[in-house]
Amino acid sequence: MARDEPVPWQGEEGPYGPLGLPLVDLLDRVLGAGVVISGDLVIAIAEVPLIRLSLHALLASVSDRVPAPWADGGRL
Amino acid sequence: MTARVDLDAESVGRDLAALVLTIVELLRQLMERQAVRRVEAGELTEEQVERVGTTLMLLEDRMGQLRAQFGLAPEDLNLDLGPLGSLLPRD
Repeated sequence: MARDEPVPWQGEEGPYGPLGLPLVDLLDRVLGAGVVISGDLVIAIAEVPLIRLSLHALLASVSDRVPAPWADGGRL
Repeated sequence: MTARVDLDAESVGRDLAALVLTIVELLRQLMERQAVRRVEAGELTEEQVERVGTTLMLLEDRMGQLRAQFGLAPEDLNLDLGPLGSLLPRD
């Protein structure tokens, strides 16, 4: 897989030069390291709270260190 | 000018398909990278590696067929996130 070499942040297009790394690679590395997302989200319209989402999610690749809860893929 | 309306109807379907296929493509590439990671870690048996590889290959072919069906080029599935670069590799 051709690795894009990282583009320096101080690119010629001003301070916001593109990262030079596709987001999917970033996501892959984050998953490789493992991440826990925890927090509360309330979706409201005109100051009226309508939907509440309370998250405590572990997002990680399966490995010996972080085993999958069941052996096969199981039901999706 | 019904012809024009038809065109919009098609393009609307196409754009929706592009959105759905972008998400599917993102997941496919993510799974592909994760599979490579697992194979490199050497935790999978020979047979698992074989089946995962074949499945990913079939999935890639199917994605190509789906894109062709909606007349979408690979770049159509890539999102430009401005300063963040792109969602998928541009190679």
